[in-house]
Amino acid sequence: MSPGPAEAAHYRFPPASAYALNRCLYAIKSDRVFAERFLADAETVMAEQGLSEDERADLRRMDRDALVARGAHPYLVFMAGLRLATLAEPGSLEYF
Amino acid sequence: MLVGAFAVAHTPQLLIRPATEDRELVLRVHAAMRRVKARLEALRPDVLAVIAGDHVEAFFLDAVPALAVYVGRECAGTFGPYRYRVDVHEPLARAIVEQGIERGFDLLYTQDAPLDYAFYVPLHFVMPEPPRPIVPLHVNVYLPPQPTPARCHAWGQALGEILRARPERVALIASGGMSHFPGTDRYASPDFEYDRGLLEALAGGRGRELARATGEELDKRGNIELRTWITLLGAVGDARAQVYCYEPSWHHGNAVVEWPLEAPA
Repeated sequence: MSPGPAEAAHYRFPPASAYALNRCLYAIKSDRVFAERFLADAETVMAEQGLSEDERADLRRMDRDALVARGAHPYLVFMAGLRLATLAEPGSLEYF
Repeated sequence: MLVGAFAVAHTPQLLIRPATEDRELVLRVHAAMRRVKARLEALRPDVLAVIAGDHVEAFFLDAVPALAVYVGRECAGTFGPYRYRVDVHEPLARAIVEQGIERGFDLLYTQDAPLDYAFYVPLHFVMPEPPRPIVPLHVNVYLPPQPTPARCHAWGQALGEILRARPERVALIASGGMSHFPGTDRYASPDFEYDRGLLEALAGGRGRELARATGEELDKRGNIELRTWITLLGAVGDARAQVYCYEPSWHHGNAVVEWPLEAPA
C-alpha cells in the first residue's frame, strides 16, 4: 500500500504504540532533571519508562529515522537530542 | 479595541545563538524586532494578545487542545537558562474565553499551563516599556490533526470582533514562521520561494489567500506555524502587511511583519 498524503506528511499523528517513547522524549526535552538523569544512566531511565528493547536501542543511538519510523514525533526527537548534546557539551552559545 | 497587529519569528537560535548561526543575520532580525518594540510603545497597548503554537511543552499527548486561552493571573516557563514570568490580563482573557465559547469556538482554558518559548521569544525582544500584561492564545500546530487553516481564520475573525468591542487597547502578535522543518530531513532546505510569494500577497492585502491554504500544503511548505498568522489575518481582514524583515537562514525563514491598522474611532 502506498502511503497516503497524511502518511507522507512531515508531522504525523503520533500512534498510541509510541506513547511511552514520546513521553520519554518529551521529558528529556522539557525536564532538565530528567534529562540529567538520562545522561547519567539511560538504561535505568529507559527501563522505568517501559520502553521496548528495540526502542531502547534506537534511543541509545538517537537514531532519528528509526525513532520517527516507530511513531516518535520528529520535533521531540530533535529537541531531546539537542538538550542531551547541550548538557553533555555546553559549547559556545551566545545568549541575548 | 485592536490597535496593532504583528507577526514575529521565534526560532530559539535568535535567543540562544550556537556557532552554526550567522551572527549578523541574527542581529538584523533583532533590529526588526526592536522596531516592533518601538511601534508598540507608540501604539500604547494595554495588553498584548499573543497567538502562538505550543511546541509540545504545555500540552503533551495527555491532552491536545486545538485552541486554548491562558486565563490565570500570570504565566511562567523556562527555556534553556531563561526563567520567565509574565502577568496575564485576566479580564480580557476571561472575556475571550466566554465570548469565544458563546460564538461557537470550544476553547480550552488553563490557569496553570507552562508558557512555551514560542510565546517567550517574541516577548523577550518586543515587550514595550513599561511591560504590559499578555493574553496567550494557543493554536495547535505540531500535533496532528491540527485545526484547519479555515478554522483558524474563522477563530481569528471572532477574536477580532471580540477585541474591537473591548475597552482595552490590544495589540495582536502572531508568533512563528516562516518556512522550517525542525526534526525532519528537510531541516536544511526550507521553502524560501513560498515564503517570498506569500509575503508579496500579504503586502498586497491578500491575506485571504493564505487562509485558503490546506493543512497538507502548510506541512509540505514547512509552514505549519502559519496557523498563528492565519488566525491574526482573520482578525485584521485585508490590511496590507509591511514587512520589517525577511531573513532566510540555513534552516529558517525569519520574518517580522506589521499590519498597520486604521486608527480606531
